Amino acid sequence: MSSGDIKGFYRQKKKNGGVTKPSSSSSSSSKKSKSKHYTGGASVGAPSAAQTPALVTRGGAIDLKEEYGDEEEALRQFDMDMKYGPCIGVGRLERWERAAAMGLHPPLHVREVLVGLASGSTACSSKFKCLWEGLV
Amino acid sequence: MADSEMGEATLERKLAVYRNLDERFVIREEKYKGQQFSHIYFMRLHHMRSQLQSLIPNWKPHLPVNTVLGLEEGKECIIVGTLYKHMKLKPSILDEYSKERSAIPLVKPHNFMSTDDHLILEDESGRVKLAGPMLAPSAFVTGIVIAVHGKETSEGDFFVEDFLEAGLAPQVDRPLDSREDKFVAFVSGLSVGTNAFNPLQFQLLVDHVTGHLGDENEQRISSKIVRLVIAGNSMHISHGFFSGQTVAPKDHAKLTEPIRELDIFLTQLVAALPVDIMPGCNDPANYSLPQQPLHRCLFAGASAYNTFVSCTNPHHFELDNVQFVGTSGQNIDDLYKYSDAKDKIEFMERTLRWRHLAPTAPNTLGCYPYVDKDPFLIESCPHVYFVGNQEKYETRLLQGPDKQLVRLISIPRFCETGVAVMVHKQTPLSLSLKFLPPVSLFLLFYLCSLTLGTWNAMRSVSPQICKCDCGYPMGTALGSSMHTRLCSYFTGDILPLPISAFFFYLGRLFSPDCCNF
Repeated sequence: MSSGDIKGFYRQKKKNGGVTKPSSSSSSSSKKSKSKHYTGGASVGAPSAAQTPALVTRGGAIDLKEEYGDEEEALRQFDMDMKYGPCIGVGRLERWERAAAMGLHPPLHVREVLVGLASGSTACSSKFKCLWEGLV
Repeated sequence: MADSEMGEATLERKLAVYRNLDERFVIREEKYKGQQFSHIYFMRLHHMRSQLQSLIPNWKPHLPVNTVLGLEEGKECIIVGTLYKHMKLKPSILDEYSKERSAIPLVKPHNFMSTDDHLILEDESGRVKLAGPMLAPSAFVTGIVIAVHGKETSEGDFFVEDFLEAGLAPQVDRPLDSREDKFVAFVSGLSVGTNAFNPLQFQLLVDHVTGHLGDENEQRISSKIVRLVIAGNSMHISHGFFSGQTVAPKDHAKLTEPIRELDIFLTQLVAALPVDIMPGCNDPANYSLPQQPLHRCLFAGASAYNTFVSCTNPHHFELDNVQFVGTSGQNIDDLYKYSDAKDKIEFMERTLRWRHLAPTAPNTLGCYPYVDKDPFLIESCPHVYFVGNQEKYETRLLQGPDKQLVRLISIPRFCETGVAVMVHKQTPLSLSLKFLPPVSLFLLFYLCSLTLGTWNAMRSVSPQICKCDCGYPMGTALGSSMHTRLCSYFTGDILPLPISAFFFYLGRLFSPDCCNF
């Protein structure tokens, strides 16, 4: 969905952004639907209905760089790719290892991101969990 | 190991090289992180699909293989996916909430099939209903992976023209060696602790297997038994203890009595030969498959011996390079509830053709939610496939297209039938040993003894006269001793000549058929 005129000029951001992942102890009360665009796989996803303007920038892609950093897009693509199996209930790194063991050649840069995160700061532990963690 | 009556040479029990291959069924490093069963289905689909992909070129090479989402109406193609059978009579936990309270049926049907059942094929991209007369829903269950050839109809169903199952897995060649006869004995459903359990019967089995029963020929047969496998339901704890209430001190003994009784018998067995014990649905092990080995602390006496092996259910082992795979019956019983076949052996055959030991797991059969594997997949076809706790003893020799040869055995419950099964390790031959209480016991023992392995004895020994002076000629020393026992049991001329002669000639009838060991 494209943004409106005024809103196209500047990005609106809510304080607790709609895309924030809740911590594992609290559960999110309202499930915000997200629009995703993805490249590979036989995955089927419905375009989201109510998309708050805050989530959308020019071009219709979610800008995750604000809350999550550069790599989240690629990680979510990996999550959504049906070729590697369901993503819920398994950690991202574990799923990558499993896909590699099955001979599916998952993208290497995803692993680099995850391994880099493991050795880096501990603040991004949410990146090891899949997209739907705690929400479904 | 047992002295003959003459006190000469000691009979030694035969040995076989045993390899326990249960590692894939043991749950050791798996951690439950809240995952659901989608992963085990994904692993199953992926593994089976790659196997089917290699078979499709030999089946219908000219047709394209599509995903479910890629189906086009009217275009003939092949799709590969997991079958789901929609059954309206299948009990669902949601029924408790949707129906009125009074609608619980009083009699639970043993089989949940109905004429409305239909099949749906599912892969990662979607699912499609299968239509057409080729696939009869009564022969299939949820959870198997097949390839179907057909086309999509205007209603959105997929009309099936032909289907392909994976078929029997490739088999490692059976080793050709040895002139030696070696037997493996199987028993299941001992149910120590129930009223149906007869200690005399089981003690007779123990004595026979350990060689304490019978004369030299008997003992020679027993010395050829290299292993005993107890396929589940060895004990039965009264269900009153499962209510969750604390057990009163006076009832503690009742709780542990069956286990201790079984341990006493097992100790006698393990002192004589290697024993594998598998858990069953009534044993104190976990409910979901694969059931983990019974804990050694349950068997204080038997676990002291290194011949005692506690195994998982399903159980996979190798004896002198002959592959044995089997379960305690839950997989076949579940198939029986959700599909139809003319006998249990046919269910077993189907699981081999589908290359999966328990296809209904996790749908209707409890199963651990594995994430990175499906341990029930059959990679290589076993030589002997056994299932315990069935109604009766049945066996069949299954031949595959690639020269696979499998002996299928359905082991009956010992507490009900008193039948144990002996399998000859080399040739695919299996025989049942029946242990019955008093009178008929001796007669049947006599018959079994004649047919089991005394071919040589029969051919070489000259007729002997019965020692009880009734004057009947007996074919063998064995027969003679049995007859003596019988005569002492009965007074008078209960056993007339025709019956002895009948057994004698019946035994002779079997001898030309004996396999070349």
